[in-house]
Amino acid sequence: MDNLIAANIRQRPVRSLVSVAGVALGVALVMLFTGLSRGMSNDLQRRSQNVRAEIIFTRPGAMELTSSTANLSTKYVDRLKAVEGVAEALPVIRYISQNNRGFGFELLDGVDWAPFAAMNDIHLVEGRAPEAADEVIIDESKKRNSNLTVGSTLSLFGDKPYRVTGVYAPESGARVKMSLRAMQEALESPGKCQYILVKCKDGYEEKTVARNIEASRDTTGNKIQLTREVFTSIEKSIPYLGIFLRVLVGLAALVSALVVMLAMYTTITERTREIGILKAMGASRGYIIGVIEKEAIVISALGLVVGFAVALSGGYLISRAYGLVFEYGWRWALVSALIGLLGGALGALYPAIRAANLDAVSALSYE
Amino acid sequence: MRTILQAENLEKVYRIGKVDVPALRGVSLDVQEGEFLAIMGPSGCGKSTMLHLLGGLLTPTSGRILIDDEDLTAASDAKRTDIRRRKIGFVFQRFNLFPTLTAEGNLRLAERIHSNGADDPERRREVLRLLRLEDKMHHKPLELSGGEQQRVALARAVVTRPAIILADEPTGNLDSENSAIVLNMFQELNFRFHQTIVMITHNPEAAQMCRRIVQMRDGQIVEPAASVVQM
Repeated sequence: MDNLIAANIRQRPVRSLVSVAGVALGVALVMLFTGLSRGMSNDLQRRSQNVRAEIIFTRPGAMELTSSTANLSTKYVDRLKAVEGVAEALPVIRYISQNNRGFGFELLDGVDWAPFAAMNDIHLVEGRAPEAADEVIIDESKKRNSNLTVGSTLSLFGDKPYRVTGVYAPESGARVKMSLRAMQEALESPGKCQYILVKCKDGYEEKTVARNIEASRDTTGNKIQLTREVFTSIEKSIPYLGIFLRVLVGLAALVSALVVMLAMYTTITERTREIGILKAMGASRGYIIGVIEKEAIVISALGLVVGFAVALSGGYLISRAYGLVFEYGWRWALVSALIGLLGGALGALYPAIRAANLDAVSALSYE
Repeated sequence: MRTILQAENLEKVYRIGKVDVPALRGVSLDVQEGEFLAIMGPSGCGKSTMLHLLGGLLTPTSGRILIDDEDLTAASDAKRTDIRRRKIGFVFQRFNLFPTLTAEGNLRLAERIHSNGADDPERRREVLRLLRLEDKMHHKPLELSGGEQQRVALARAVVTRPAIILADEPTGNLDSENSAIVLNMFQELNFRFHQTIVMITHNPEAAQMCRRIVQMRDGQIVEPAASVVQM
């Protein structure tokens, strides 16, 4: 091999592999975290978009989508139905529990299946609706990711077994649904729900209906939100998620740069004599910096490829094992690529400059 | 004949801690184009310092060096590097080949440094043929004998057609048989192509193959002997 850069990479395989792994780690971390964040956000948004009710009626101070507190009386259902412009009002309890696999969390909806399915235009593709207190239905993703079928048993609320009676499509809200009564029993909250989905009559604008609800004496003191405002991107609705992702990207860049810097620094020390020879042959400072930078960039490019491969395969495996959704975007892939390449190039810059400034005679006599 | 290397009153003082250690004390030397010169002397007499100064690897404390009419001492570090790239070829006692590159790869690297990326396969083959290394061009240094490695180092030095070759004890790591082969190559390059060569050596037999011998002691030239032609 007559190419100095390629020869050096092959000559020191452990050093090269560690450097490649360092860059790959940074790239994979960025890809996995942003892919998970984007995937889960989009997944939740997709499912939320299949909720056709225009208005969500809940208690003041209740957290959007995430509260497990059933603190709203179901007596509001009839009161809401009496408001002008309201076609349907449907009580829901959304419960968040630890995923049975110990990683992530599981959303459960307690709803009355028939009106919920009619309101949101969803249907059963297998089996039947849940009736008994220990029955649930699941969507197709849950069936696929958790290897469940009609008749399977699912542990919820700790180790309490629930039997799958049906599978529905398209996905809408939580992936597991039980009857409202079963959820109320499980939470010991009879007559309570978490929020009420309000569907407007044809010809009524959602804002007008919201104002009517607000003006009604029977429903006053509660929180009225438009569904489309609640179900915006999770990335936007969780205020620090963007900052967290940026910090993560910065840390990944730092990891890549540090690994490459340490590896190249060690290499420069090992190759002091060779740098002396280059100087004796008339290689300029720019040439020496160029050789080391090119080597770092080749290593970073390899790290990039490995990082992308790890992210894609890791995301697939995690998705298969835990049902988490990964969606990779070009923007973050580009950011990852820039992090890998720039981190490597910048990490190698100091060792490269140090090499270029070595005293030729001392370098030549280096043992 | 043209003077290709001119050193005027060179002094070099190393500062070690708080002590000044003079390595060269006013050395002047002219080397003519096509000359094969040996610099001899005991260890510590300043031979290597002299060679490093002539090659622009060190700067003198005082004095002046002209190589092919270019003032090495007045030049910036970048300019000295450029002069070294264009005018000088080094051959070292320890060969100093790149162990990861083949013989041809070592030559190609020298060409690329010399010509900013360009290389001349014809010239490379010619030099390898001249030094009888044609069948070794795809071997890495560790697959070659000491003599072959030094011939590759010599090939690397001459492939870029330098004005002058500076050789630092080129036979110091070789047995007598390989020493003779390498010295014959130096002689052939000098005789057939008028390559200017300045060689440092401890070995009187090696020095005897040169056209002129300069003796150094205590940082000074003590005996500029008459030219010796042994061709």
